Amino acid sequence: MIVQLIIGALMIGCVYGLVGLGYGLIYKASGLMSLAQGDMLMFGAFISLTFYKYMGLPFFVSLFLTMVIMFCLGMFIQRVLVTKLLEKGAQTVYVILCTISISMILQNTAMFTWGSNVMQFPSLFKTDAINILGYKIVPENLMALGVAVVCMTSLHFFMTKSKFGTSMRAAAQDELAASALGINVPAAKGASWGIASMLAGGIGAVIGPIFGVYVSMGAMIGQKGFAGAVVGGYGNMYGAIIGGLFFGFVETFISAYVTSSYKDFISFAVLIAVMIFMPTGLFKEQVME
Amino acid sequence: MLEKIKERKGIILVLLAVAIICAFMLRERYLALVLCFICINIIAVTGLDVLFGYTGQVSFGHAAFYAIGAYGSTLLTMNYGIPPAITVILGSLLSMIFGIIIAFPAAKLVKHFLSLLTIAFGQMVFMFVSVTDSLTNGYSGIINIPPISLFNYTFKSNQSKFFLLLVVVILVLIGKNRLIKSRIGRAFIAIRENPHAANGMGINVRYYKIMAFAISAFLTGLAGGLYAHLVHFISPDTFMVTQSQLFMTMLLFGGIGSLSGPVIGSSILVIITETMQSFVRYQMLIYAVFILVVLFYLPNGVVGIMDTIGAKVKNKLGKRAEENAKV
Repeated sequence: MIVQLIIGALMIGCVYGLVGLGYGLIYKASGLMSLAQGDMLMFGAFISLTFYKYMGLPFFVSLFLTMVIMFCLGMFIQRVLVTKLLEKGAQTVYVILCTISISMILQNTAMFTWGSNVMQFPSLFKTDAINILGYKIVPENLMALGVAVVCMTSLHFFMTKSKFGTSMRAAAQDELAASALGINVPAAKGASWGIASMLAGGIGAVIGPIFGVYVSMGAMIGQKGFAGAVVGGYGNMYGAIIGGLFFGFVETFISAYVTSSYKDFISFAVLIAVMIFMPTGLFKEQVME
Repeated sequence: MLEKIKERKGIILVLLAVAIICAFMLRERYLALVLCFICINIIAVTGLDVLFGYTGQVSFGHAAFYAIGAYGSTLLTMNYGIPPAITVILGSLLSMIFGIIIAFPAAKLVKHFLSLLTIAFGQMVFMFVSVTDSLTNGYSGIINIPPISLFNYTFKSNQSKFFLLLVVVILVLIGKNRLIKSRIGRAFIAIRENPHAANGMGINVRYYKIMAFAISAFLTGLAGGLYAHLVHFISPDTFMVTQSQLFMTMLLFGGIGSLSGPVIGSSILVIITETMQSFVRYQMLIYAVFILVVLFYLPNGVVGIMDTIGAKVKNKLGKRAEENAKV
């Protein structure tokens, strides 16, 4: 049993980690907070479901297309809505409010397009559970874990080794200096929002087969991902992953061994405790004025 | 005395118009209930305004205080038989205590993290109230909550409830006005504009931030308690994160940092909610679009627009007076 628990915890921890990663990416790149990642996850799940179930495309093709669409959506939100809002001299709180309303619009659009019932993915694999080393493991869990790990490693290599990734990090560190060096800072910001949405949408597509796809699936995950990002140090990509894994494990093991109705309550209590006693998180990011 | 009335001509006309509209609405039960909802939201949003409009501390979890006030008052009245008029106050005090507790970490955090802290707090209260069946009856909610009674008169009809709520609203608004015009209010505004400069001027920022949280929590908790005794039924549904977002929308639409902002915002949004009952599915979408419209076109809310228009009108009148004077 404990092996299933660990795999489940790893899987949900990676989900939280990727969502939190997106939050941290947005914060590092533009200094703004977005609260819409959870709903990006939900939207990505619905889009990939449409591709896979209704258009009959193979799963990885629909996953790829979903990620492209979500990237464009994220970039659009940043370039059109957020930039315009900032030009009007809005405070950062108003941008948060804007992302909240975007998340509401996403939820409602999903509800009108696909209905408010839980939709199921047709099964991806032929077997219900595969036998690894004597333990029965659900293959969708492993696939989700695999996709998450691939996303994280490729993001790491993109950010550190590729030219555009490095220029994104430069733009995040110091806008003025980066633009003085000829780096396209608006494109970098838009790309960071786009990547955040892409990751959320991609992982949503992958957990769709596990949890089913429904309009409110993103809200809790978004908040826990945010919590993971805070625990790891808000803005730090690797911290977000570790924070996400932390919450994944806390949640899974508490609901298995202690109580399952209070699991969200306890996760949020842990978050508040961390914000009180260690607000800079594990990787010591700036959070107080 | 006559001069004072002449000066405030505009406001008196508006109040008269509102009074006449209210008199018409009060003739029907449903419309009187709508007026009661408006009053309750005015109180709750005024609370949020004290926190956000005056000290600049954002809160996306205010429904938590609403819930604490509502459940606190309900449980005290149903389990211990204390008269509702007193439990409403006790519920508000309980909410205030939670406000103070949350204020300690909140006063230290930057805006972004404050939003997360308040969201987390809102979620925790919602979850606690939904899951703790033994105390709060969980998702089924609590029914048959008694109405408020004062001096042997029970407020049972919607019309009488409205007059009670109106009195409370007037008291709250007067209190808020006195608060803003006092030293404390000026300290709040200083903290909102620049906390470091305020600190440098000798204002104890931490103390005033905590006080703002306390007052805000008290007012929203008061609204919650009054709500419970107005509709005689509460359930966790009312206190979800959507309610916090609704309070924020009302505040931003009406205009932050003003006396009439919460009044206008609450009135218009409650009326829109009620007229949209047939479009319940579109409700969240309409709120979302509302928020976007407010953010992009009405950053200072309706009050801001009215001020801008008023300034333009005065400008033109001033120019005309100048021309007349020259001739």
